Parts: sequence; structure tokens; C-alpha cells
Amino acid sequence: MNALIIEKTEDSPGVKFDPATAQLSLSGESRPENAGKFYNPLLEWITQFESILFWRKEQKMDQKPLVFAFRLDYFNSTSAKYIMDIILTLNKLADKGYPIRVEWYYDERDEDMLDAGKEFAEMVQIKFDFLPN
Amino acid sequence: MRHFNNPVIKIGAHETGKPYFSHTKHQHLHFSQNIMQDNNSLNAYEVHKFMSKMDILVAFTGHFDHQMITILLKNIRGKLKTTSPEMAIEQKVYCILVECVENVSKYSSGNEDSSRNGMFMLCKSDTKYTVITGNPMLNKDIPSLKAKLENVSKMSREELKQLYRQQIMSERETENNAGLGIIDIALKSGNQFHYNFKPLTETTSFYHFQTEIEINS
Repeated sequence: MNALIIEKTEDSPGVKFDPATAQLSLSGESRPENAGKFYNPLLEWITQFESILFWRKEQKMDQKPLVFAFRLDYFNSTSAKYIMDIILTLNKLADKGYPIRVEWYYDERDEDMLDAGKEFAEMVQIKFDFLPN
Repeated sequence: MRHFNNPVIKIGAHETGKPYFSHTKHQHLHFSQNIMQDNNSLNAYEVHKFMSKMDILVAFTGHFDHQMITILLKNIRGKLKTTSPEMAIEQKVYCILVECVENVSKYSSGNEDSSRNGMFMLCKSDTKYTVITGNPMLNKDIPSLKAKLENVSKMSREELKQLYRQQIMSERETENNAGLGIIDIALKSGNQFHYNFKPLTETTSFYHFQTEIEINS
């Protein structure tokens, strides 16, 4: 499985999904012109990554936890819905017994960003770590 | 000293085609007479005076093209950072502004030419930021938008949060999932918004939306 790397732009976040380390991150600003076109491939990648997690489990390999880091400066309401989809997809994997952790980064002066993360966390079972930048 | 506390600004055009800017609470702030020159063109000095008096930081009117809006928003974000020492407020203003501007692209329509056309303004006084948007829209789209706005405007903070959770978990109806944006604006502004619809033609109206973000809240 290939890594998914997308450079960030002025309106869409940078993406770094690394299957080898199971470290996934989304960083920057998110208000893409077509949110579906941007986020659907990310959701697909995560869904496909389940096969890697499954294989590692079957082989009784050391299971690295999947860590998803949100390092967003800003996201609009359309992106919020896709971020929710990412978190729900991760939650499904967690329900199947794979170790998953979310890291939610925020600027200490930006209470709304921290609150937004807490809102997402409340809707799922996965563990969220809230980390000031 | 400021002459007004809670301005509701109206911008439009007289039947003659002359633009007007008016202020609902204080008649002495009518600019419609002075803003035009004798030769029927805008008087730059009066426009400038008006904009300063209304504390307008940025005003834009035209086609809400995504690339253009991205450049403007980036510029405004930089500007907000230099004018506001409080990041929380600056971030709130930016979030609200983006949602408002995206609403213009979403609802703005009339005929082929006026699709995605509209205006926005960002004003700053000592006590608050004001975001104003305006755009023509189809009358047939008004009832559902109005119902949404009325519903949200009556809600408490807790009810808004509840509705936000419900909306974010619900199936997506359209790409724009209308609703989440307005809830977000209501939450971040403390439900400080006004709106009205001014009939333009048989099938279109002008949608005015205004929201305020208090600086020392």
C-alpha cells in the first residue's frame, strides 16, 4: 500500500498517511472548493488500510497503534462533516479491535479549536489526546 | 465618540439605478444624497468618508469565484492578525467570515449573469466586528432558508450545540450540507445575527445577512 502525500495549499490541508509507521496526519487550513473531491480519497485510503492492520494482526506482528494527528489551523463547516467521517471511520476500526489514537493539536489561544476537538471526541469511543502546538 | 451602537446597514439601488447606503436608526447618516456627484458618478471622497465612518475594513462586491475569495480571505486573515491581539476573537471573526462568504456562493443566484454574485463587508469598531453579506437569490429558495434562520435564531447555546451534533452525524443531503454553517455562525457570534430579503424581481430577492462579534465578550 502506498503512502498518501498531498502538499497543502491555501485552501486545502496537507496530508501525510504513512502505512509503514501507521502515522496519519492532516495539517493546515481546510476550506477546499470541492470538499468531497478532496476528502473521499482520504476516507478510501483509511478504509483500505484496514487490510494492512488485519494482516499484521493475523501474522501476530507487533501492532503499532494507528495515530491520526489533526494539526489544523482552520476548517470550515463543510470540512467539519468530512472530519467527522474520518473520525467515524477510525472508530469503526477501533470497534474491530485495532489500536487507534487521535492527536488533536491546537493553538492555546484558540479555544474554539480545542472545543471542536472535544466535540468530535464525545461522539466516538477512540482516545483523543489534546496537545497544544 | 461613536454616533451609533447597533447599526443595521442597508445597501441597495434606487429605482433610478442610483446606489444608496442608509442607516435605519439614525436618519442623519443617510449618504444617498452626497455620495453621488453632479455628473451621476460616485464621489470618491464621500465614499471614503462613508466607509471610514462605518468602520469598514474590507468591502467586496462582484463574482464570488473560489480563487478570488481565497486570496481575499488570506489577505483579511493577515489583516486581522495585525489588528487584533486576541487570537480567539480574530479566529472567530475569520471563521464566521468564511461561512458567511461561502453562503453567498451557495445561495447567490438569479439569472446566468448574476449567479455567485454578491457583496461582503467586514467592519470593526471599538467594541465589535460586523460581517455583512448580500446577494440576489431565487425566491423559491427563500422559505427553506428563512425557516432555518428563524429556527436557529431562537435557540439557546445548548440547543445549538445539540443541533450541531445532530447535523454533523446526519446523512449528507448535498455537498454543501446547508445548516451546519449557520449553526456555527450562531454559536460563534452568540446568536447575534440579522437578515432580511428585499424583493428585486418577480423571481428574485436580495438577501442581506449581518452578524456581530463582540470584542470583549
